[in-house]
Amino acid sequence: MGRRRSLGDISYMIVVWTLAVLALLILVAPVVIVLTTSFTEGRSLKFPPTGFSLQWYEALFDASKSRQIHRAVGNSLEVAAWSTAFGVLLGSMAALGIARNRHRLARVADGFFLSPLVLPGLTFGLAALMYFTLIGFRPSLNLIIAGHMIVTVPFILRTTTASLSQLDPALNDCSQSLGASWLYTLRRVTLPLIAPGILAGAFLAFMASIDNVPVSLFLSTARTDMLPIRMWGMMESTLDPRIAAVSGVLITAAFLLMLVMEWTVGLTRRMRD
Amino acid sequence: MFSRRNLLVGATALGGASLLPAIAHAKGSVAAAIYPGTWEEAFRATVAPALKKKDNIDVEFQPLFAVDQVAKAKAARGAPPFDAFVLDPGPRITAIEGGLFDKFDSKKFSNLSKMPAGLVDEWGVGVNAQVVGIAYNPKKVPAPKGWKDLFTDPWVSRLGLTGFQTTFGTVSLIEIAKVFGGSETNVEPALVELKKVLPKVAAVGQPAAMPGLFQQGQCDVIYTNTQTVATLKGRGVDIEFVKPETGAITFLTTLHIAKGATDVENAYKYIDIVASKEVQEALTKPPYNFIPVNKDVPLPDYLPMKNLDEMSTYIRHDWAKINPLRAGWIEKFNKEMAK
Amino acid sequence: MRKLAEWQLALPLALAFISIFLAPLLLLVGVSFFNDDKISQPGFGQWIKFFGDPFSYKVIADTMLLGVKTVAATILVGYPLALVYLDASPRVQRVLIFIIVLPLLLSVVVRTFAWIVVLGREGVINQLLMSLGIISEPLKLLQTELGLVISLTQIEMPLMLLPLISVMSRLDPNLRDASAALGASRWRTLFTVIVPLSMPGLVAGCLLVFASSTTAFISQTVIGGVRLIYLPLLIWQQSLVVFNWPFAAVISISLLVSVLTVVSALSWFGRKSGGYVHG
Repeated sequence: MGRRRSLGDISYMIVVWTLAVLALLILVAPVVIVLTTSFTEGRSLKFPPTGFSLQWYEALFDASKSRQIHRAVGNSLEVAAWSTAFGVLLGSMAALGIARNRHRLARVADGFFLSPLVLPGLTFGLAALMYFTLIGFRPSLNLIIAGHMIVTVPFILRTTTASLSQLDPALNDCSQSLGASWLYTLRRVTLPLIAPGILAGAFLAFMASIDNVPVSLFLSTARTDMLPIRMWGMMESTLDPRIAAVSGVLITAAFLLMLVMEWTVGLTRRMRD
Repeated sequence: MFSRRNLLVGATALGGASLLPAIAHAKGSVAAAIYPGTWEEAFRATVAPALKKKDNIDVEFQPLFAVDQVAKAKAARGAPPFDAFVLDPGPRITAIEGGLFDKFDSKKFSNLSKMPAGLVDEWGVGVNAQVVGIAYNPKKVPAPKGWKDLFTDPWVSRLGLTGFQTTFGTVSLIEIAKVFGGSETNVEPALVELKKVLPKVAAVGQPAAMPGLFQQGQCDVIYTNTQTVATLKGRGVDIEFVKPETGAITFLTTLHIAKGATDVENAYKYIDIVASKEVQEALTKPPYNFIPVNKDVPLPDYLPMKNLDEMSTYIRHDWAKINPLRAGWIEKFNKEMAK
Repeated sequence: MRKLAEWQLALPLALAFISIFLAPLLLLVGVSFFNDDKISQPGFGQWIKFFGDPFSYKVIADTMLLGVKTVAATILVGYPLALVYLDASPRVQRVLIFIIVLPLLLSVVVRTFAWIVVLGREGVINQLLMSLGIISEPLKLLQTELGLVISLTQIEMPLMLLPLISVMSRLDPNLRDASAALGASRWRTLFTVIVPLSMPGLVAGCLLVFASSTTAFISQTVIGGVRLIYLPLLIWQQSLVVFNWPFAAVISISLLVSVLTVVSALSWFGRKSGGYVHG
């Protein structure tokens, strides 16, 4: 730094860093508490935990002791995967269609697509069950997927729209005036630029689906048990430490995924260089 | 039957096949709603194998709280998502009024003679008695004697309250009201007294949050049932049950057959096996700690009663009178307790 | 083949929404015009009951205020974190992203437990402050609005930061350097360059945070307790405890309309500032 730091710049650094550290604390503290608790030697969720053991992870992976949890995890993953897949497809298409459209109808559609986020899940779950029954469907995994798609697609739409609105419209015009087709422009110019937005939205949508209680509560059946509902039962009546272990597993999986991505991305970069 | 099979085919096609091993080959099946947590664990471990052994019926449990069962059955009018309910008195009345049950034919119930009087009626069978009283943390506060103590120190500042949303919360508040001059249909005195001590009270919470709040020391006195106390104690939580001096409260948990159920006969067999000596005995043992209803089963010693007949001395409530008032009480509670 | 108009891309989602979302919603609106819980006598009784009660307005206002406070708190700590992210090396950035999405990996069930542990009377904050001698009596944090907002900030932060960061990281770094080279202080650069340019992300984040915090039933009731009354609690009581679905429908629609009003205002503001940036 050649330039002498002014008082203003120092105050900027102090304020920004203090608040950022506070943000990190708020983000991390509950996670640390849950992870610590998951290694408890005791028989119930309690912080600070007593002793250290892996027994709750063992119990969680035990095929007979935790069969119901495994089934619920399977259902939840399946629902999250399908609803996110449909959400990404329909959501990013819709975002491309209306994000840069200044027509009033496009604004109305935008608000409409956002509204599931605003309606309490409880209300949507109840209304959806009444409606599906009325038109002759019975609750099933397919209905849960449809319901989850509706309540999670706003995330995809929002983040994609945010990326799109930042895209310089000149880029598009430029590409097209150079004779590129609309599809070519989309594939080579637009999509790569908004991919981070879509990805962020997809992640939000996937996790929102995994953790959705109210819609699943109404649309699930005895055969489509979902994870968060099962975890509620364990928390409320038995303070079962396995629910902390579930989060431990999820966090570890995400961490490994990140490492793998880091490694593969790093690898491709090296190969390219 | 048809739609259930369809459902199964649908689920299988979606890749759930490996997750549903036994059902496809079962002779018969029944879908039963069950309370999440202890109830579900207990019924999966005891009722399911017994029913499979005796009648070769597979039971599929759907973990749902009482109110959620009633809501789902109401919303799915005529096509209930399960064949059998398990309910507390309040939701039971709502379900009867909503026409959600099939009438219960006690001729199809082989354990009839083993049940104390009043447990089997035209709507269903009581399969478990819940006893409600006060629970406290013995390491933090002395044992309270009764409801009145909860409003004085040292308990009041350690008290965790819940409202009228649950059956146990409602009956506890009614008993509190009685101590202060109210009655089964007049809970006003309880609200008046509560309001006086409100600034001191440790927590006013959602029922679902209470075990966590108690465990972490946010509150040390709550009202709850003996089974929750026994379960938490079994998991190492510092908790003890006290029978209030004005008497402990009891109410029945009942099983019912859903109107429009797909497997009515199997549902009868399911209810029958739940009331059987074998299953009731297994349910009584830790970590399940149920209060049995079959006369052939001895009562566990953690209970403040020696035999089932003694239950008649416990306080019971008329939910037909309470239910119509509850919506008003809930609104009142909101307004009185709101910050 | 006729060239597709761009807006038609939104048709599939629109169709899905009409059949799976709008239809149940209309059913709900229909249900709200019944006077009794058996849904047999049509009338405006439930609407009159809800809007004739001053308590309802208080709850609506409290719910909207909770959303505003949570948005403010999330920006207050989240935006600086985004700035730190912007200056960090790619490797640190990846670690930060992982930390930012951590709350999403924590199920709402254990998340609320963790906040009981942090905020409780014998909780982490109180223990810490008391052992440092800063306070002698435990602070009341759990079951207060402050505690609720703090805990909501955690789960809402990813919703704020992901859109914000995806927009910010596409900002031209030369702009900041140019601003600095022209002698602008970092504060000035922040408010005249970075904030306006990151507006689309910020607005998207605010929308998500506002909508999600006003409807966060589980956090509101478990951490806030039931003395803090927001619309989702009333909806839950009416739909699942006393089964008065027409009344639940009225409250739900009121919540939907109130939040959408705020969100549309935000959205309008976002488009305006976005237009300003491009214009």
